[in-house]
Amino acid sequence: MSDSEFDVVVIGGGSTGTAVARDCAMRGLRTLLLERDDIASATVGTCAGMISSGLKYRNEPDIMELCSEEVVHFNHIARHIMMKIPILAPLLDLSDAASDSGYIDAYSEHAEEREVPAMMFLTPEATLEIEPMVHPDVIASVYYEEFFIDPFRLSLLQALDAINHGAKVHTYCEVIGFEKTGGEIQGVVFYNRITGTTETVRTKLVVNATGPWAHKLARMNDSKLDLRLNKGTHVILDRRVVNVGITARALDGRWVYLFPHENTTLLGTTALDTWEDPDRLVASFDEIEYLLQSIEAVIPSIRESRIIRTMAGIRPLVPDWKVSEDKVTRGYQIVDHENGMISFTGGKLVMCRHMAQDVTDLVCKKLGVKAICKTHEKPLPGNEDDVDVESLSVEYGISLHTLERMRARRGTDIVKILELTKEHPEWKTTICTCEPVIEAEIRYAIREEFPQTLNDLRRRLRLGTGPCQGTSCTYKAAAILSEELDLEGDDFLVDILDFKAERWKGIRPSMRGEQLAQEELAQGIYTCVGNLDQSDVDYDLKPWEEGA
Amino acid sequence: MDLECDVLVIGAGMAGLVAGTISSNEGVSTILLRKGQSATAYSSGAIDVMGYLPDASEPFSTPSEGLTAVAAMLPLHPYSIVGYSESVQPDTVVDEIVGSARAAISWLKNSLRDTIAPLIGSFDSNISALTVFGTTKPTCLVQETMNSESLQDEDSTLLFAGFAGYPDFNPSAAAKVFLEDRIAIGLPPRKVGRCVLKLAPFGKLYNLSSIEIARHLDHGNSIEELAKQLKPQADKLGATHVAIPPILGIRNALENKKLLEELTGVEVFELLGVPPSVPGLRLQMALEGLFRKGGGRLLAGHEAISYTKNGELLDAVMVRTPRRRMKIKSKATILATGKFIGGGLAGDENGIRETVFDLMTVTGTYHSAGDITPSRFTNRVSITPSSQPVYSCGLTVDPHFRPVQEDGVEWSSNLFAAGSILAGYDYSSEKSGLGVATTTGYIAIRKAMDFLKGVDLK
Ligand SMILES: Cc1cc2nc3c(=O)[nH]c(=O)nc-3n(C[C@H](O)[C@H](O)[C@H](O)COP(=O)(O)OP(=O)(O)OC[C@H]3O[C@@H](n4cnc5c(N)ncnc54)[C@H](O)[C@@H]3O)c2cc1C
Ligand SMILES: Cc1cc2nc3c(=O)[nH]c(=O)nc-3n(C[C@H](O)[C@H](O)[C@H](O)COP(=O)(O)OP(=O)(O)OC[C@H]3O[C@@H](n4cnc5c(N)ncnc54)[C@H](O)[C@@H]3O)c2cc1C
Repeated sequence: MSDSEFDVVVIGGGSTGTAVARDCAMRGLRTLLLERDDIASATVGTCAGMISSGLKYRNEPDIMELCSEEVVHFNHIARHIMMKIPILAPLLDLSDAASDSGYIDAYSEHAEEREVPAMMFLTPEATLEIEPMVHPDVIASVYYEEFFIDPFRLSLLQALDAINHGAKVHTYCEVIGFEKTGGEIQGVVFYNRITGTTETVRTKLVVNATGPWAHKLARMNDSKLDLRLNKGTHVILDRRVVNVGITARALDGRWVYLFPHENTTLLGTTALDTWEDPDRLVASFDEIEYLLQSIEAVIPSIRESRIIRTMAGIRPLVPDWKVSEDKVTRGYQIVDHENGMISFTGGKLVMCRHMAQDVTDLVCKKLGVKAICKTHEKPLPGNEDDVDVESLSVEYGISLHTLERMRARRGTDIVKILELTKEHPEWKTTICTCEPVIEAEIRYAIREEFPQTLNDLRRRLRLGTGPCQGTSCTYKAAAILSEELDLEGDDFLVDILDFKAERWKGIRPSMRGEQLAQEELAQGIYTCVGNLDQSDVDYDLKPWEEGA
Repeated sequence: MDLECDVLVIGAGMAGLVAGTISSNEGVSTILLRKGQSATAYSSGAIDVMGYLPDASEPFSTPSEGLTAVAAMLPLHPYSIVGYSESVQPDTVVDEIVGSARAAISWLKNSLRDTIAPLIGSFDSNISALTVFGTTKPTCLVQETMNSESLQDEDSTLLFAGFAGYPDFNPSAAAKVFLEDRIAIGLPPRKVGRCVLKLAPFGKLYNLSSIEIARHLDHGNSIEELAKQLKPQADKLGATHVAIPPILGIRNALENKKLLEELTGVEVFELLGVPPSVPGLRLQMALEGLFRKGGGRLLAGHEAISYTKNGELLDAVMVRTPRRRMKIKSKATILATGKFIGGGLAGDENGIRETVFDLMTVTGTYHSAGDITPSRFTNRVSITPSSQPVYSCGLTVDPHFRPVQEDGVEWSSNLFAAGSILAGYDYSSEKSGLGVATTTGYIAIRKAMDFLKGVDLK
């Protein structure tokens, strides 16, 4: 395949763009994906990862139907990175209950296909037995189960699968313009941030999957696209504060939740119309307090938990205006600008495969290609088989916990990593102890998953995402990256500074409690001992670090 | 069981250990309490005095130059506090400030001479010490095992040596950083190499910690084995010096260094490292030894939780261990509980608190910190010479190092404070941590002993 001529160029490497690239490649189209940063570096990385039954959208029965089907598909293609989590909605007051009970039937209709039980009501005793942290005055609770996925791994696996099917995926390539003839797109111009050069490729069609940037890309193509941008913030708590997920009515009557998520717990989320630059977005004091106070009503001890950090993202909603955010459809729209570009508005993580299927159908139709969608049939890499971590733990002499976490990221590919430790037993060394991540997995990811920076490694491995936020793994992992990629000394230091900057963006807004001591330690290591505050490397201020 | 003593020191990090060592060695009955972790044990074990002014980009070439600048420009800095004493004449304030730090630092150096953590360096020059990142930092005294002075020679060649399965130090990254830096500023050595050695302490091939390696090197003929691997590598490169992570031993580090040098024929020195820190541990253990030698009593695992007051005097401190509670009566008390790591300060979204006596806390600019939102006292940039202001929060004290209240009057006439619990400086960006802890511990205990002798501390 030529490196400069494509059938379709997909712009954006989030959940949507990677799903589109995978589908296009699987249908035999010459596909290029261009991502300005890294795979899953934007919105999708800030989401809760819920592959939801659509319960929240039951006013939109077709959306609920769609979600339910996608759960079934993801359970088929990505079972290794899916997690089922029981959820309680404790009622403290009759007014907490929804006015009608239609949602129970709606949820339960396809429960069997999703491999979950029908929704049920629990007594206060049963509620407190499942989750002792719930307020003792609970009068009843609703019990149901939902699925969650690691959004970073999903996006990455989609990208890798696209590559396996012949697509090209270029990260750190920002689209800056289009070459047009007679109003029609002929080529895409992008700036390669690694080589520092501007490049052009020819293409028949462009799919604009840039989430909250979609209107900007449309404008670059002299087209108009309206979006309703909506900010959502999560507070991340250490460990599993609750055994099960909790949903509750917030101070303003919206729903908020507490979800066990990997080794942490997610408290979310807010929903605020925003006009902020997505790159500068940080959680606000008000959002943090709103979330804590809202969940405090049902989990009174929430403030005793250790807050690790926050994260904020922007939902690229369909432009329904003059209604409150939760009334905006969670469906998506495909907008054909009829000049070679097709854009998305709206959508969710759970719908990314479906969105891709729809848009690829359209792309094929426009190109006159007859190929059917197989993305719901073929498993993603690593989902080929079950993995017996217990016997692997014995065979390779690595702790079961470490292997369980590794399996949750990689499924059957775990064996490729373990094989590396036969020749290099020293690579069994744990580099990130919070998660945990061993050196062999870091080396494997560097070799096989095209990371350019330490932050890219974090997305692939959950490196530095635990309570210490990279305090003690950043320099170790940076050194491994520098060795594998044969980086200069300055790059090694810049990687450390960049990683710290990105973690600090989330830590800073919620800084309190144990995180004060944790950050003192980090400052001790990197500023006091490393003297990195005085380093003269070329460090570019991040967008959220600029200004007063 | 209740206890009594003349001086009770709460906190056994650098500040508390210095204070307790001085009083116990002067025959004053002293009890030292330590709850748990201390920043001192995490430190690289080099004694910073004053590296940079806030926001500065050039380091001071000598600590005394740094202290002179502090005396002139940072009146709220803990180093400056001695200058406020009524007994100090206005025209000698700077001399007094510089002199007190100089005295404290030379006391420390002398005291540690025959311990497991002997120091080199002087108050009259800052050392540019090499770190495990390959960077350098200005510091005043380093442990003798870290001496890399002769690296300045034109014809020196440096080998960075790491250990397989020990992730805290990567010789290839450090070597690159170091070499690029040297080339940029045109300093020797111009030739640098790296190697990875296999040590397998206690049969382990991976997940090695610095403490394990140090323990291993303290025993048997492990140094000989290390030398056997190191020598060919050093010879191959033609190395004159070998930089290794700080793992040369806990009890025998200096002897180990000398033996290794003898066996390999090259100079070996430890880099400044990060926690878990062997040199930090050596420093802490060395001071504990001195404290005990003077007759002091160290109660590890003992946490001060509350107190009783008799009029304006602090009468007794209530102490807790996992198993028991007791009361310790003392005539004077030193509060040296550290910052957030040590546990002297704690903070939530509503403000910063002092954890034992609920003393008034202030920001680096001496505004109340009791009701600040910590995140608002941070910088957008994480690693910056402008520092994170929240780490300048702490206690404000009178010229005799007694914490004061909102009205400016001391909380009690026999409670003194020292170390990183004091407000007005950020040790990370200044590079001043152990220096401030030593100096303030040194002065605070003298004030406390003056108080015991009945000197009027007005
Ligand atoms: C707080 C929050 C919680 C959420 N929770 C859930 C949930 O639990 N379940 C669920 O299903 N959905 C959830 N969502 C919604 C979901 O995250 C998003 O709808 C979805 O991830 C959007 O993915 P995307 O790929 O469209 O956008 P993005 O992830 O933002 O990807 C767009 C990509 O385009 C790139 N890009 C932009 N401009 C250019 C350019 N010029 N050139 C090249 N690349 C460019 C960006 O760098 C970015 O990587 C949540 C959203 C938020 C904010
Ligand atoms: C990673 C790191 C590296 C560093 N490197 C250096 C360096 O190379 N050079 C340098 O000069 N400085 C360095 N520093 C700074 C230096 O370590 C500190 O500034 C200094 O150790 C502070 O000493 P301290 O005695 O005030 O507090 P700490 O050492 O923290 O001691 C406080 C003590 O109080 C005890 N305590 C607290 N509360 C109670 C209670 N209620 N009851 C009983 N005991 C209590 C704690 O257990 C602890 O023993 C570093 C700091 C860090 C974090």
